[in-house]
Amino acid sequence: MASKIQHCIACTTKNKSVAGDSVNFHSCSAQKINEAPTIPKRRQELLKWNGWGYKDSKFTVSKDSQIELSGERYRLSGKKLPHLKDWISAVIGVNLDYRAPAQGEITAADIPIPIKHEEFIDDVKRAGISFSDDCQDRLFRAHGHTLHEIFRLREGTFERIPDLVVWPDNHNEVVNVVELACKYNVVIIPFGGGTTVSGALECPPLEQRMIVSLDTSQMNKILWVDEKNLTVHAECGIIGQDLERFLAEKGYCTGHEPDSMEFSSLGGWVATRASGMKKNIYGNIEDMIVHIKFVTPRGVMEKNCQVPRISAGPDIHHFILGSEGTLGIVTEVTIKIRPLPQCKKYGSIVFPEFQNGVGCLREIAKQRCAPASIRLMDNEQFQFGHALKPEDSSILSSFLDGLKKFYITKLKGFDPQKLSVATLLFEGTKEEVAAQEKRVYEIAANFGGLPAGADNGERGYMLTFSIAYIRDLALEYYVVAESFETSVPWDRCLDLCQNVKERLHRECKDRGVQFPPYVTCRVTQTYDAGACVYFYFGFNYRGISNPVHLYETIEGCARDEVLANGGSISHHHGVGKVRKRWLKKTVGDVGLGAMKALKAYIDPQNIFGNDNLMIGNL
Amino acid sequence: MEDHEQSRNAWITKDDPKLVSGKHKDMFDDILDDRRHSSDFRWFTRSRDVPNFKLNKPRSPDEIKEHVMNSDRVKYAIEQVCKESNLPLSEVTIQAKSILDEMAHNLRLGAVRSFAYFLIKAMKKLFKRIYVNDEGVQKVREIIKDYPVLVMPTHRSYLDFLLVSFIFYNYDLPLPAIAAAMDFMGMKFFGWLLRNCGAFYIRRSFGDDQLYWAVFTEYVQTQIANGDNPVSFYVEGTRSRTQKSYAPRLGMLQASLETYFKSHTPDIMIIPISISYDRVLEESLYAYELLGVPKPKESTSGLLKARSILQEDFGCVHMFFGDPISIRQYSDGKVDRSSHNLAPRYIASLSQEEQELIRSLSHHIILKHQKNMVISPWSLIASILVQCKEGITISQLIKEVEWLKRQASSIGGYIDWPGNETAEAVTRHSIALHSNIVRVSEEDIVELLHIPRVSTNKTDPLFQTAAQHIMLSLYRNQLMHIFARVAIISSILNGCRESTLSIDDLYTSYTFLETLLNRDFIFQPGHSKIDFEQALLTLTHSCGVIVENKQVLVEKSVNKHTTYFSQMFEPFLIGYWILCRYLLSMDPNVHGKPLSKPPKSIIKDAQSLSARLITEGVIRHYEVLSLDMMNNALNSFYFMGAVRKEKRDGITYMYPSMTPLSQITQQLVKCVDVPPLPSVSINVDAKTVTVNAKL
Repeated sequence: MASKIQHCIACTTKNKSVAGDSVNFHSCSAQKINEAPTIPKRRQELLKWNGWGYKDSKFTVSKDSQIELSGERYRLSGKKLPHLKDWISAVIGVNLDYRAPAQGEITAADIPIPIKHEEFIDDVKRAGISFSDDCQDRLFRAHGHTLHEIFRLREGTFERIPDLVVWPDNHNEVVNVVELACKYNVVIIPFGGGTTVSGALECPPLEQRMIVSLDTSQMNKILWVDEKNLTVHAECGIIGQDLERFLAEKGYCTGHEPDSMEFSSLGGWVATRASGMKKNIYGNIEDMIVHIKFVTPRGVMEKNCQVPRISAGPDIHHFILGSEGTLGIVTEVTIKIRPLPQCKKYGSIVFPEFQNGVGCLREIAKQRCAPASIRLMDNEQFQFGHALKPEDSSILSSFLDGLKKFYITKLKGFDPQKLSVATLLFEGTKEEVAAQEKRVYEIAANFGGLPAGADNGERGYMLTFSIAYIRDLALEYYVVAESFETSVPWDRCLDLCQNVKERLHRECKDRGVQFPPYVTCRVTQTYDAGACVYFYFGFNYRGISNPVHLYETIEGCARDEVLANGGSISHHHGVGKVRKRWLKKTVGDVGLGAMKALKAYIDPQNIFGNDNLMIGNL
Repeated sequence: MEDHEQSRNAWITKDDPKLVSGKHKDMFDDILDDRRHSSDFRWFTRSRDVPNFKLNKPRSPDEIKEHVMNSDRVKYAIEQVCKESNLPLSEVTIQAKSILDEMAHNLRLGAVRSFAYFLIKAMKKLFKRIYVNDEGVQKVREIIKDYPVLVMPTHRSYLDFLLVSFIFYNYDLPLPAIAAAMDFMGMKFFGWLLRNCGAFYIRRSFGDDQLYWAVFTEYVQTQIANGDNPVSFYVEGTRSRTQKSYAPRLGMLQASLETYFKSHTPDIMIIPISISYDRVLEESLYAYELLGVPKPKESTSGLLKARSILQEDFGCVHMFFGDPISIRQYSDGKVDRSSHNLAPRYIASLSQEEQELIRSLSHHIILKHQKNMVISPWSLIASILVQCKEGITISQLIKEVEWLKRQASSIGGYIDWPGNETAEAVTRHSIALHSNIVRVSEEDIVELLHIPRVSTNKTDPLFQTAAQHIMLSLYRNQLMHIFARVAIISSILNGCRESTLSIDDLYTSYTFLETLLNRDFIFQPGHSKIDFEQALLTLTHSCGVIVENKQVLVEKSVNKHTTYFSQMFEPFLIGYWILCRYLLSMDPNVHGKPLSKPPKSIIKDAQSLSARLITEGVIRHYEVLSLDMMNNALNSFYFMGAVRKEKRDGITYMYPSMTPLSQITQQLVKCVDVPPLPSVSINVDAKTVTVNAKL
């Protein structure tokens, strides 16, 4: 899509304190970019206002009940998905005759009247900072992508949305806005890519002060690349795909690839403790960060050096990582980069059952030979991936045929209703990849796993990118669905998967869900001491009056079950508002008190009053 | 039966209610009926459609054992034992292996089939009908697919073990692995057979033998978590010799439920099963056991001797499968399973909340058991006869039985009273079934028979008579749980000397008696207030007790109901009082502390005192000779601080603590009329009891 958009590296006009004679800059002119950033100020021109992703990409159902993904952005785009219809009807009981179309645009009349602090607005105007009070601009920044937010966009109205949107251009403008906010006691809610799934962007409905959404999308400049130290310094608003594309031109990457990387921003990753698919090679966000510039009501918080490690008391970066907009705004980040891998290869392994796969992943983690990504899908998810197989599969070897062949020859004895598939992504030099493949497949063999080809692997990863779009299709046909995740020690991984799935099924049954729910999980990351598990859960809500409430109640039960099974409140989605009630239990009274004390020191007026995490009564 | 002619509709050929088949009765079906009319051979060789736990990975008994030996828990325990005992790893491993070999079952369908064949023959001989509530069994069938199941039957006879397996076989349910006591294992052939039919053997006590604990816990838990078989055990721990529910034992339940608390399973379902016998196989054995005649060791020849038993009629059995109890629902909001997140799950641990929950659950299960017991008419008859030791005319007996039946029903007991028979027919039939205990004389007086017991000349004739009375009381005990709460209140009212008694004072006395008696009767911990209010309501609504302005009008309230109920309780209160008197007599006033004795000799001595008082004619309740009652009383006194424990050479000794003991005695005397005993001295060494004063 964005090939025409060229990225400039812009230095701020302020002099940067740069240390070291060995630093070699890719500097660029400090002139302002003429071309618009990838994501325009009027996001709604490019992105759906009431669903996921680009306006042009959407799962549609044709008159002859064929499902396909519109647009040209994705590998699936424009291909008919003949198996999907049968799958959704068989598994979730979706009948394409029963549609639940979304409401039309939410207009100014449906939106609460903004609370305006005129002096603040005047000062912002005087400072030359871009802003808007257009109702669509404000509405777009009133939500993230949890089920209840999207459902509200489709079916309801908002009690409270931001009263003003500002687009600072650089760090100094952010400092300016925060100072004004403190001066006039105005609330700031930082907005990055808007992909949150924790309710973090929702405005506290009872907030009487003016709420300003601080949109960082215009702060998308890469300020310098340091090839000696392999770091890049960029503004917080740059989104994942742009960062990687720019770096790729120079032969580098950060390697940080969360599923939301098309839309999510560097600052957002820091503020939520993000995790990327390829963390096995590149680490999670906290492993990549070298320096953070953080604007708070108390002033700017940052370290005076860019060192690989430091012993200087508790790491102030860890106050910032995962602070979810409660303490301030990340404005600039120095992050590690790596040379682009020479070779990138997908792979997959079929296991007779999920538990063999878990055993295999555990062993791979133990031997520390995990490839860039390894994910283990349970049978339900494997079936789902399979249902997404396009009609035109001349390029792909037909999985079904391949699988049949497997059955007859090697896989005899694998039950298609039980088998489980691990998808793999290898990166490195050709030799490294070959060696890794060999080792991983050898371990897999010990657990009854058999290599099942690159296509199946790639399809698995495709599923994660398209799943967010599929949720919109589901909503169109009376299905509420969402994902949630956790981290868990290895010894409890299998029990957790089993018990949480069981709990979801049972709660649905007990609470009168008429159709069998779709419940599936995958072990999506491996660590030395445990794993990250990712669940999808959805059900057909025909016959239920308050589906979102029911969904949230059941998901709450599932989280209780997760915690009872030794799992965590979240691996990378964060706490936001939807998981606040488990925070105290997670970190204890003292832990929570410490967070509150930090908040009280840094932001005594509660300017960053988005009500996330530790704010307020839990 | 011949055709009857009173049919009003042509298509009804027989509408005489007496012609209703005995196969169906309320919610029960007789499972023997079909077996009497079709081939046993085909029944036990047929293919069985057995539901299986959905998360089960099929394993053989040997694979289960292999898992146990390789488990983290057992490895950890072996390591610990090695450290502490300095024994080599190999030796401790062998120890663990032999514990496991001694314990493990070897459930095989082949053995089960032949066992089933033997069982069906025996059951048909022994019992007229075996009634099972079909609906309850169907619930188990469904639930077994979704959750691990614990089967928890009442335990009042050896036959419980066989009946549960038999019913599970009959209904195509997976055969349960049943925790059995070691004494079964001693039986040569049966020990082997039962092992092959799913019995696994648990030592009675293994204290702090951590290797045994680890093997036992892992063995039980892995079978629950994987749902290999339903696991069956008795919450009462052992057969109830008294036919009342025993206070729960928690060890097995703790080991089982830890599986859920540590989130190995999504839930565990507990199926309480109530097994009611018209006539208990071991009735006389129990009577002598309660009196302290040593219990013969179970042996195959003993069981073969029991063949003569096969010639006798033991009436009907009722098995009621209670509603499954979901441990997840039961513990919802009461325990926090994440408290186990900070240590490996193989290190045994239960939180305080979990232990309390298990205690409360164990009582809950027993109360469910009781609620689902079927009360036979004979229990009603026995209850009357216990109070009329000199005999009673049959017409009076019938009147009293019908009265008692109404009381029991209105409080919530399920009485197995055939609707199509006259009260007299039912009564005479019941008496006939128990002709070894009572008879109807030619003058139509119902009276107790003497039990001839020639083989043991040593047995005191007093004890022979006592045995007969105790046997009768066993059947009365079968319905005591229904009346326990109202009887406590009635006893207090009956003993009250004032004209009014405030509800608060009544409640205080109620909690005293509840605490005192909570080993003889089962009360849900923490439910005293609710139980009290419920019982008082019953008494005011249907038993003529009058409450005005939060005061019970005592004189107006004492009536047939309260008198009968308190008389039901009298033997227990007298028994406890005797132990009080005995313990009080231990005060030597010389060295500042009463002499310590092992609990067993205290109980025996108290029994001697009872014997003496009965012989002297002071006491007329032979039941007070029961060692079980004395033991319960002693334990209660201990928990109430009236008796203290100390260890001497590793053996437990007990001695009374006089102040709390006299307080208990005083309170007790308020509730029951006791004979005047101005002072009693007991010569312990000579094993004789001398009551000084004139009685």
